[in-house]
This record gives sequence, structure tokens and C-alpha cells, in this order.
Amino acid sequence: MSALDNPQVDISLEEFLRNVRPRLKTLFAHYGIPPQDTEDILQQALLALVHQRHVVRDPESWLIGTLRNKCLLYWREHRRKLYEVVDAAVLELMAEPIPPAQEATDLRRDLASALEQLPERCRSLLSLRYQGFEPPEVAERLGYSQASISKVTNRCLAALTHRLLTSGLPRRRKTD
Amino acid sequence: MKMPDPSDETAATAATPAKDAYDEVIDRVFTLVMAREPLIEQDRALAGELYQELMTHPAARWNLLVGNSARFRSRMLCERLLAESHEAGFNDPAQATALARLAVTLAEALTPEGCGGQEAWNGLCARALAQLGNAHRISSDHLAADRLFADAQARIGQGGIGLLDLARVLDLEASLRRDQRCFGEASRLLDKVIRIYRRLGQWSLLGRALKQKSMACGEEGDLEGEMAYLRRALDLLDPNEEPRTFLAARHNLIAALNQSGRSREAFSLLFHTRPLYLKKGDRTSLMRMRWLEGLVARGLGRVEQAATSFREVRQAFLEMGLDYDAALASLDLAGALVQQARTADVRRLAEEMLAVFASRDIHCEAMAALHFFCHTAREENVGTDLVQSVADFLKRARTNPALRFVPSA
Repeated sequence: MSALDNPQVDISLEEFLRNVRPRLKTLFAHYGIPPQDTEDILQQALLALVHQRHVVRDPESWLIGTLRNKCLLYWREHRRKLYEVVDAAVLELMAEPIPPAQEATDLRRDLASALEQLPERCRSLLSLRYQGFEPPEVAERLGYSQASISKVTNRCLAALTHRLLTSGLPRRRKTD
Repeated sequence: MKMPDPSDETAATAATPAKDAYDEVIDRVFTLVMAREPLIEQDRALAGELYQELMTHPAARWNLLVGNSARFRSRMLCERLLAESHEAGFNDPAQATALARLAVTLAEALTPEGCGGQEAWNGLCARALAQLGNAHRISSDHLAADRLFADAQARIGQGGIGLLDLARVLDLEASLRRDQRCFGEASRLLDKVIRIYRRLGQWSLLGRALKQKSMACGEEGDLEGEMAYLRRALDLLDPNEEPRTFLAARHNLIAALNQSGRSREAFSLLFHTRPLYLKKGDRTSLMRMRWLEGLVARGLGRVEQAATSFREVRQAFLEMGLDYDAALASLDLAGALVQQARTADVRRLAEEMLAVFASRDIHCEAMAALHFFCHTAREENVGTDLVQSVADFLKRARTNPALRFVPSA
């Protein structure tokens, strides 16, 4: 055991849980995880701890570190889903054969304006994507490797989503 | 609902649910975990018994038993196999491989439900593949090791994996990259491992990872970096809890100090480390201490004293069947003899080395290096540079038999 590790005294699991409880509540609140979604996160982490307690030196630090990571992954997953929704909506908009004229024109203008504000590489990538090019073709045209194209596309979608949200586009559509 | 940017604490608190809102969920999870704990402990105890039972059978039957009998399909048994394979890696590579192979079979026969969730199962499978890869690395089968680490990475890519499991896989992969002399890649992996252990507050494991990182620096020729990492590792390692790792880190620090010309400092640290070698007490550890004494003595200019140590170490390694170490100690002895201008003794030593090692299991490129050394000794043309270059080659080729020996002009 390192001199820096908290002593691994043989406290019971019950006592450990009692001690760590306030830190868990603070952590979940800090990351803003909805209470109903903490159940899986906490259960998975605690069961993993019980399984690995012979290799974990400082259970409290381990648990808090693990939960922090899980909270970050939770929000990352939420963001990813949001980008997918935006992407699907834009693809759908572009694919509509005969859209209602005024709405489609407005939306396309908003989208073009959001795209305009993105960095050049993202602008090119998303333009190709929304013109109907498949990811391997986009990668080839822009010089990305096949392995990295989905990661780069996600980054560009994140930037586009951010632009659309800050420009208030979804709100305007709702009120239209 | 607002999605907080984790780096922005004020943003995170803007949508913060009240802390008490978590009480109900926490109570529910605590109750479940408390109920599961005795069952997990039971599984752990049972895994010990199953492991002992397996060991009463020949290795050839292990797969059959695990495949045919459901009672062997236990996560805890798999954990035990991984731990035993790791230990066997230090002195019985064949056993380490057999145990890790069984762990892979067992992990893949388990289900996410049987392991406590998808993440736990992914982690177990990835660690088992990495442990088998590591066992192949120890046996110098880098191709098989590469394939297994690629499988482990694929498993990691398939879904979530716990941070501790991830760090373990990356740590083992870093050892392979180091053996393959891909130091940049090894360093990059170890940086990730170090970040994970720091994030999880696992200071002992961080100490081990820093020691690993020091070795990557040392083999790249960055002695200052090596020493800096070793000092940080030694601050974190406890000699009572992890005597083997602590002693290895001290040993490496003494060698690095000596190699960088700070032989007085190395001598002083060696003096204080001697009790740890003696406490460990096995012949290999004592011989490694004696070898280090010789190197430090040579660094201090006490060539005769160094030659005595090297001769003793060489003889002991030959008796113990540690041929490769004996070859390296012989070259250190040759270096000391060259310094003393004892050309005839160098020639005699070279002939002896060739005769001994030709009948032993030393790979062909290492033998080529020894042949070249012997040939040059016969011509009475051996200088310290040649001894050093052959010794350096043997050290590098030890973990990578694919390296080709090219005599320097």
C-alpha cells in the first residue's frame, strides 16, 4: 500500500456505504444526474467494487473516481444522442421531395447560416454529408482516414448542434 | 434538462437536483449491494476451491473440465486464473500461458449476467486476452501477443469497460510495446494508465505504472527521465506491501545512477538497499545485488573488485541455468579484463563463452553476436566499445529475438 492510500482498514461494507453516502449525493448533484438515472450508475460501480475489493486499495477514492467517470460518460452519451437527432432531422429536411415552400426555405436559410459559422473543415464535411455523400466518400474527398471519419463527423455535428441551439432554431420551429 | 459541461462547475450546479432527491435511489442500491456481498464472497471462496481442484488435473484437461462442467463457469475463478497467470509469469512462462489461455476460454463462456453486467464482462474478457498476450510476450512470441492485444482492444471498443480494467490492459500492452522497442507508443499508453490511477486515487498502482514508465525512458536512453520517474515511483510504493516492486525500482535507480556517472550516489543507495536484497533472500536476487555491486565498483574505478563480482555472478548464473544472464555477466567481466589489458584472459573467456552457450538454448542472433565477439577476441582486437555494443545488443535482443546483429565497423 502506498503511503498516500487511505488505510485499508477492514470496515464492513455497511459502514463504508454509510461513510461514503454524503459524497455520493454531492457528486451526483454536482454533475446534475437525474435521480432516476443514478440507480444503474451507482449499482454497477458498487458491485464492481465488491468484486474487486481485493485489488482496490482505497475504496472511497476508487468509487468516487469511477462514478465521476460514469457521470461524464452519461452526459457524453446524451450529447451523442442529441447530435444524432439533429443529424437525422437535417438529413430528413434535405431529403423532403416537395417541402412546404416557406418553411423549407426558412429552415434551409437557418441551416446555411449555422453552417457558415462553422470552421472550414466542418463546413465542407457537413455540406458533402448533406449532399448525400456516404462517410467513406467524404473521408476520401477531404483526406481523412476511414477510421477517423466518424469521430470527426461527430465533432462537426456537435458544433452544428451548438450553433443551431444558440441561434434558437428549434424554438422558432416550434412556434411557427 | 441542461447538460452541464463537466469542466464548468457553475454550469453544472445551475440544474442541480436537490441532494436529498438521491436518498431513495441510494437506499435501494445500498440494500441490493448489501444483499449481494455475501454471495460474491461465497463465490470468491468457492473459486479458490475450484482452482485447487483444477490444478489436480493435467493442463491438457482444463479446457475440457471448464467446457463440460457448469460449476467451473465462475467470474471469480476467472479472476483467480488471471492472478495466478500473472504470478507464474515471473518464473514459469509456460504455466502463465496455460492459465491465461484457460482464463480466456472461461471468460468467453461466461455471460454478462453471470459477471454482474456488460461492462464487467467486457472488462474480464479484455483483461483475459491481455493477460494471455502478456504471457506470449514473456515467451517472446510477439506476433501472438500482438494479435491478442488487438483482440483485447476490439473488446474494449465493443462497449463500456471499467477504468481499472482498462488501465490493466493498457499497462500490459505497454510492456509489449517496450519489448518491441516502440517506446513512444509504450509511453503514450503508460501516460493513460497513470492518468487513470491518479483519477481513481490508486497510489500503489500509480507507483507501479511510474516504474514502468521509467523503464521505457531508460531503454530510450533518457537516464534523467528514468531516474525522475523512479524517484516518484519509490515515493508511492510501500516496501512492506510490495517488496518485489519496491526492490526492483531501487535496483533500477542504482543502476541508472551508476550508468549516468553518479557512482558514489549509487554506492550509497546500494548500501541502504542491501537489507532488502538479503530479506528477499533467494539466490537470483542475491546474484543481482552482487552484479550491481560489480557495476558500481567498475563505475568507481575499482576494476579488480568489479571483475571478482562479475566472475562470481557469471558462475552462479551458469549453475542456475540462467544462460542469457550468464552471457551478459560474462561480457561485463570481459569489459573489466579489457580495462586491465588482460588480452589473453579476454580471449580465454570468449572461447569459454562460445563453448558453453553453443550447447545452450540461446537464440541464433545472440549466438551470432557472441561468435563475432569471440572472433575479435581471437584477433586480440577487443576494445571496451565492442564489449559494450555486444552487451547492448544482447540486452535489446533478449525480449526481441527478431532483432538482427550487425557488427559495427
